Amino acid sequence: MSSTEQPVTPTNDSPDFKAVPDFEVAPGMQRHLADARVNVELDTGDMIINLGPQHPATHGTLRLVVRLDGERVIAADPVIGYMHRGYEKLTEFRTYPQVTTLINRIDWLSSFANEVPFVHAAEQLMEIEAPPRAQYIRTALTELSRIATFLLFLGEMGLQVGALTPAFYGFRDREHVLNLIESATGGRFHPNFNRIGGLKDDLPWGWIAETRNVMKIVLDACDVFEDLVLGNEIFQARTRSVGIIPGELGASYGVSGSNLRASGVDWDLRRDGAPYLAYPELDFEVFTHPDGDSFARYWVRLQETRESARMVLQLLDKMPSGPIMAKVARIIKVPAGESWVETENPLGQMGYYVVSKGGTGPFRVKIRSASFSNVSILPWMLRGVYVPDVVTILASLYFILGDIDR
Amino acid sequence: MAFKLPGLIGGLGITFKTMLQGAVTVQYPHEKEQPPARSRGVIALHEDNCTSCMLCSRACPDWCIYIEGHKEERPARREGGRPRAVNLLDRFDIDYALCMYCGICVEVCPFDALFWSPEYEYSEPNIASLLHNKDRLGEWFHTVPEVEPLEVGAAPVAKAKK
Repeated sequence: MSSTEQPVTPTNDSPDFKAVPDFEVAPGMQRHLADARVNVELDTGDMIINLGPQHPATHGTLRLVVRLDGERVIAADPVIGYMHRGYEKLTEFRTYPQVTTLINRIDWLSSFANEVPFVHAAEQLMEIEAPPRAQYIRTALTELSRIATFLLFLGEMGLQVGALTPAFYGFRDREHVLNLIESATGGRFHPNFNRIGGLKDDLPWGWIAETRNVMKIVLDACDVFEDLVLGNEIFQARTRSVGIIPGELGASYGVSGSNLRASGVDWDLRRDGAPYLAYPELDFEVFTHPDGDSFARYWVRLQETRESARMVLQLLDKMPSGPIMAKVARIIKVPAGESWVETENPLGQMGYYVVSKGGTGPFRVKIRSASFSNVSILPWMLRGVYVPDVVTILASLYFILGDIDR
Repeated sequence: MAFKLPGLIGGLGITFKTMLQGAVTVQYPHEKEQPPARSRGVIALHEDNCTSCMLCSRACPDWCIYIEGHKEERPARREGGRPRAVNLLDRFDIDYALCMYCGICVEVCPFDALFWSPEYEYSEPNIASLLHNKDRLGEWFHTVPEVEPLEVGAAPVAKAKK
């Protein structure tokens, strides 16, 4: 270095450099001040990175553009639409039985629960009602799909905080439930079992006894998850007071289902909504948790899995006999009109607004899916959290990308 | 204060217990699981029953059934009767690359020509080979299971399904 040039900012070599400024500081603070000084000198700006579109914690193609200051998220912006399949438009060119096939694929983890509100909306327009046995079987299969969805969550959530074992247990126990759904409907994931006015078929021989056995397995699995995951200190440290949704704010964003109940809002469409299926005749409890953090969401879903298993057992005890199909013409024509049906799906509130002009297919269908609204709170939730917590928050919100993009 | 077992140790107990229970997985090519009788694996065609009425082709949500047929005159059954026209099937293809396995075609068939079979081993390295013609669909027919009995409380089937 030539003697005529003076460095503009002091470097470590220069005699003027002091790692710690001259004013008095508490002894413990000196290291932090040095860090701050390095930050200023190196001018560590914000960094914008993409989490996804193919990130393991997102169950699909959610792209999350996050602005980071070191490890801390300043702003997060979910970019959706990578899986848009245009279901609302496709329904306009299909007949009613064909639409049921399509809407199986919206939320593929709980396909059966997706069919129910659409079929109900069409039945309301036609002013028919499925016979009681069909309603009971529908309720039982809806609750089974809820159990299957939540068992996957209970395992998956462990995986996202770094524990591999619960994921295997979740998949193992979910397989029993999927086998039940397959033996009754013929499809593991896409049952297409609901028909307007009832069901495609009655249950096969031995299904009720088999379901009783599986419900015991599910209840045992819930105990296992309670010990293995909820009781684990590392899990608690990772999820307690992480990703808090205040109840009122969540409701104003449209968050629904277990995510909202984990924030202390006591709202469940099975109990509070317009009565549908056999829920008014069932005795069940709705669980809420006051905390609203990731831990609360796990706790609420665990309790709801247990409650669903108990509901299925109740349904099997009360199962009425009789036909499973109301009198419906072979070619279904729905009278002109509009109807809106919303139900409590595993992921939250799911609704269909069906407009008919009297043809064999709907004129317009608007789908209100739970995950879309649940994800809309992400920019608010992710502000100021650390990057590893982003993963647990995404996992605990539990959305399905097919349900977001439709 | 009572001693509380740390959750970590309790969790290890569960994994240890599970380890002693043995594996639940199946080594697929060597052992096979039998899917339930209702399982929608592949569609079988009973060609003699098909009248090429095109109902299944029209009801298909993604239009993956291709049917071509022609009419042929047959001599009269009785002396002095009129000659009959019968529908003959030239082509009946299902493109399994497009099929959504919804089962609407099987349901709308008024002549009992289509059936579900739980067979599932027909994957192909070439996507064009997933187009099954009527001979291939006919081969699945012998794998169609018997109609299974229904659960207690089910209403008797009004119309016998042959």
